[in-house]
Amino acid sequence: MRDKLTPRNIILCLCVCSLPLLIYGIDGIEKFLSSYRIGFGWPGGDYVIRILVRACLYMLLAVGLNIVCGFTGLLDLGYVAFYLIGGYTAGILMQRLGVPYWFALPIAMAHGTIWGLLRGIPTLRLTGDYFAIVTFGFAELFFRIIRNEQWLTGIPNGQLRGIPAPSIFGITFDQNWHNYYHILILLILVVFLNYRLQNSRVGRAWVAIREDEQAAESMGINVGRYKSLAFAVSAAIGAIGGAFIAQFQVNISAPFFEFWESILILCMVVLGGMGSIRGAMLGAAILGSLGEILREVLTRFTDFPELAGSRYLIFGIILILLMRFRPGGLIYKKT
Amino acid sequence: MWAQILEQLINGLVLGGIYALIAVGYTMVYGIIQLINFAHGEIYMFGAYIALMLITVGTPFWIALPLSMLLCAILGMFIDFIAYKPLRNAPRLSALITAIGISLALQNLARMIWSARPRQFPSEVLPSFFLSEVTDTGKVINAVPLPGGGILPFRDVFIFLLAVVLMIVLNMLIYLTKIGKAMRACAQNQVASNLMGIKTNQVIAATFAIGSALGAVAGIMVGLSEVVTPTMGYYKGVAAFAAAVLGGIGSISGAIIGGIVIGIAEVFGADIHSGYRIAFAYIIMILVILIRPSGIFGKATSKRA
Repeated sequence: MRDKLTPRNIILCLCVCSLPLLIYGIDGIEKFLSSYRIGFGWPGGDYVIRILVRACLYMLLAVGLNIVCGFTGLLDLGYVAFYLIGGYTAGILMQRLGVPYWFALPIAMAHGTIWGLLRGIPTLRLTGDYFAIVTFGFAELFFRIIRNEQWLTGIPNGQLRGIPAPSIFGITFDQNWHNYYHILILLILVVFLNYRLQNSRVGRAWVAIREDEQAAESMGINVGRYKSLAFAVSAAIGAIGGAFIAQFQVNISAPFFEFWESILILCMVVLGGMGSIRGAMLGAAILGSLGEILREVLTRFTDFPELAGSRYLIFGIILILLMRFRPGGLIYKKT
Repeated sequence: MWAQILEQLINGLVLGGIYALIAVGYTMVYGIIQLINFAHGEIYMFGAYIALMLITVGTPFWIALPLSMLLCAILGMFIDFIAYKPLRNAPRLSALITAIGISLALQNLARMIWSARPRQFPSEVLPSFFLSEVTDTGKVINAVPLPGGGILPFRDVFIFLLAVVLMIVLNMLIYLTKIGKAMRACAQNQVASNLMGIKTNQVIAATFAIGSALGAVAGIMVGLSEVVTPTMGYYKGVAAFAAAVLGGIGSISGAIIGGIVIGIAEVFGADIHSGYRIAFAYIIMILVILIRPSGIFGKATSKRA
């Protein structure tokens, strides 16, 4: 990791850690001012923190997808499958079997990893379009299974309600700011792991596979093994995201994990620049919060609040323009 | 039992005809520029909406159909011109992501313009033979009675016949005309055909136009028998893509056969478990890619990178 403990980075770190304090501070100011009838239309601290949590969650997912899409250069259109597996594994374990979150999370991770590896068996030799299509098909199948197989999940229609919040020593982590620190810690761990992987033998092997699979193989890289490793790590990260959203949302249902969610995460990775961890995080921070910000701005300042519902239109246009004018993404990494 | 199977088989054939029309659009574009045109499903959806709008304002059905085909052909060429043409020499992944972007944008544009509410073609302005019913006295109107009490509406007969006619016209276009010859040349070797004086970009534009026009017809057909929604392109589009893969992507006769197989599989699959209606198409598609990536009719190529 090139980043050092410079003063700038320490200040940045402190800012990120104290964000909830700041946001609830504004809450207090708003409350004080509105008692004099001069409120400035602050949408409320809990709401803002929820947006932050979502943005962080998407950062985590984008970093996970970036391993397959960015490092090994395979277009994964079914990443949402692992998100779904993580979510339902953790959700069902916690809600129906009463397993504590701290056990459900690693089990969900392991479950996601297994499916990442299983999906890897048939797709290892596929490249390009066909890999994209098969991953898409797998995700759709998982989506249908969750919707239809009640004997397997024990829940009708994939609607899981009342997932308990994690607790430790009698303290329940159900506040929004709890969730913020929760996802922040997960994100930091995942990003740290990613940087370590990127700068290791493994990361270099992945990039070599992306650049030229045959050349990589002839240089002695076991392509199959490194690709499987990429699938497994990526799937595990997706499952962490799923386990988190299960306890964060309390109720989850199948539409959370639709195909367009995959595309949204892909947009984030592409926007930031495929293969760049920072890029994926930047893209996720922008797109993950853009929808809510747009809704807030549009309902407040224009007469067309329904425009916010079609934010995917804007995402689509972003994808087209990026590929046309800046295919390397916002953070362009010269190689 | 047998009557029921016959009825489902006919339903599958009708659905298969629709799939074949969409699949041809995927396969033609893939054959020439090796791009999975994700936006094709959305063009098909636009075809249905355009026809619906035209009919709602009072255009007769027989004018709305060709007009919608024409407008979709223009839309297809426009998409190629603004989005794909600048990326001809870019990595394949860029074009694929652009295609996803267009699909996303068009689908949500439709949602903005027409709202997500499912719509139906107004039955009073459609040609009268589309309205089939069984009267209380057991008389069958505008439909062919089937053994076992089922009926085959004239509407479905019309859909299937139109699909067959269009496929014959398409095959004549490709094998008998000059532009068809140019298309086949481009599919074989684009650089060489360019050197031989074929204007490749025009041929590609024509391919998009033809595929989109056929997609528009399929959209109208689905609109006639089901409903029109902004997401219809996504569901039927993927199933049609599965048909194209099954037949061997790049092969037109493969797309037709694939479409019919997928259509029948879907209808019978829905009988087994309605929740997996579409999933049967996905399963077939995945199996084909894994076991025989070149499809039934495709040429065995080394690797599609």
